[in-house]
Amino acid sequence: MVKKEIDIAVIGGGAAGLAAAIKAKEKGTENIVILERNEELGGILPQCIHTGFGVRYFKENLTGPEYISQFIKKVEDLQIEYKLDTMVLEITPEKKILAVNSVDGLLELRAKAIVLAMGCRERTRGALGIAGTRPAGILTAGTAQRLMDIEGYVPGAKVVVLGSGDVGLIMARRFVMEGAKVEAVVEILPYASGLSRNVVQCLEDFNIPLLLEHTVTSIQGTDRVEAVTVAKVDASWRPIQETERTIECDTLILSVGLIPENELSQTASIVLDPATGGPIVNEHMETSIQGIFGCGNVVHVYDLVDHVTQAGELAGESAARYVLNKLPPLRRKITLRAGDNVKSVVPQIISGEEPVTLHLRVKKPMRNVKVKTGNLTIPQRVVRPPEMVVINLTEKTLEKLEKKDELKVSIAEETAP
Amino acid sequence: MKKKEVRVITCIICPVGCKARVTIENGKITKIEDVECPRGEEYVTRELEAPVRDFFTTVRIKGAKTPVLPVRATQPIPKDKILDCVSELASTIVDAPVKAGDVIAKNLLGLGADIVATRDLDQAKEKGQK
Repeated sequence: MVKKEIDIAVIGGGAAGLAAAIKAKEKGTENIVILERNEELGGILPQCIHTGFGVRYFKENLTGPEYISQFIKKVEDLQIEYKLDTMVLEITPEKKILAVNSVDGLLELRAKAIVLAMGCRERTRGALGIAGTRPAGILTAGTAQRLMDIEGYVPGAKVVVLGSGDVGLIMARRFVMEGAKVEAVVEILPYASGLSRNVVQCLEDFNIPLLLEHTVTSIQGTDRVEAVTVAKVDASWRPIQETERTIECDTLILSVGLIPENELSQTASIVLDPATGGPIVNEHMETSIQGIFGCGNVVHVYDLVDHVTQAGELAGESAARYVLNKLPPLRRKITLRAGDNVKSVVPQIISGEEPVTLHLRVKKPMRNVKVKTGNLTIPQRVVRPPEMVVINLTEKTLEKLEKKDELKVSIAEETAP
Repeated sequence: MKKKEVRVITCIICPVGCKARVTIENGKITKIEDVECPRGEEYVTRELEAPVRDFFTTVRIKGAKTPVLPVRATQPIPKDKILDCVSELASTIVDAPVKAGDVIAKNLLGLGADIVATRDLDQAKEKGQK
């Protein structure tokens, strides 16, 4: 077995991992290794051939491959080591990593710091409990995207999309562009889960019906999907039987949510947040284990890659400071709890002493609100579940923050003065 | 005879997502309501007069590790030309290697935009080579 001592191991070579590795190198650590299970770097970006990436980070409207190639090039220029086709099997609280690939065989890395950047996975049919048979033709949106835009197959001719997440909307458009018919996008909520830009440009542009407050109640077909049954749902998401109707199709695309991939975090006994599905992190993106950091979709699911890159940079910088003994533990710990209309908040732990950016996911859309962090209030024009709310707490703002062990982050209606 | 029509357009410039009510008389915009900012008015006007979209798709590639190459237009194209552009590129086959930015089709359909590759794709190695 190959055994090696290194400074920083970055697990996952997508947007978060690459940004972390680059930043760690720039901040003065030398011995960094990126471990990536795919055959190329880039994570999900190589298959996201549409535009909309980098508008904030590069001030340029790039496609996924264009965005990520900037970081891949930088990794090459900085001569950061990476191992492809490499599966990490286990990490321990002592930061020992067990991995395997066909070149090294079994590989044991002892790292001074670890950056978790494993991303997220799509929810599948099994997680939904849809009745019916189990024919071919039921795919997650990301799988369809990979088949279409990397492998070169169009995996359906008559398509129904369940769920209105961004990848589902984007795939609805791609199916139409490749000559397929998209019968409907079916969403159980009273509003779309994806960005409004995608609702307009992927559905309205191509006259694809968006059935809100509807769901798929069963799937028919033996070898291949032949039809799905859809129905309107009531306020508690129960299908209303009288509204059931059948839509003939040969493919059902699922775009019903993403789950942070934390099997490895669990092998190291890292404490996870049930609200995000990812590790609890402090303002340095440090997990419950000192020297293990997390960033990107493994911590919580983002909607913009630009924010993932920024989180990666923060985690990479923190990991470098940790290795160089320049990252003292937080002098005090304020735990942030999700309050009214807040589903989750990251980071979950702040010191209240250093500037920090909070990322919130809200439960329902609201207009003209105040985002409250303890006694601090920041007005916000609109909050919507598909769009992460970003709150910058500057040093000056934090001076006024009440220093308690626990503070609630909540969203309140703006009251007239 | 006067033709009057009211259309609702969702503004996508910012997360507020105003639902603009636009009155059109004889093909001309006469009133824009329920938009909160000038950028929104500009967007809504363009959406009605000459809507454009980013354009991206894939073309076939020979000799690379994958059979398709992602491409994009160098500038937005008219919305109603998206499917025409896709059909025009359907028979395009390029040979590896390709570099990001390589022009795949010049001035596609005379719309003023070039189609360029959005990633590098090297020639695939022979089997057994590493």
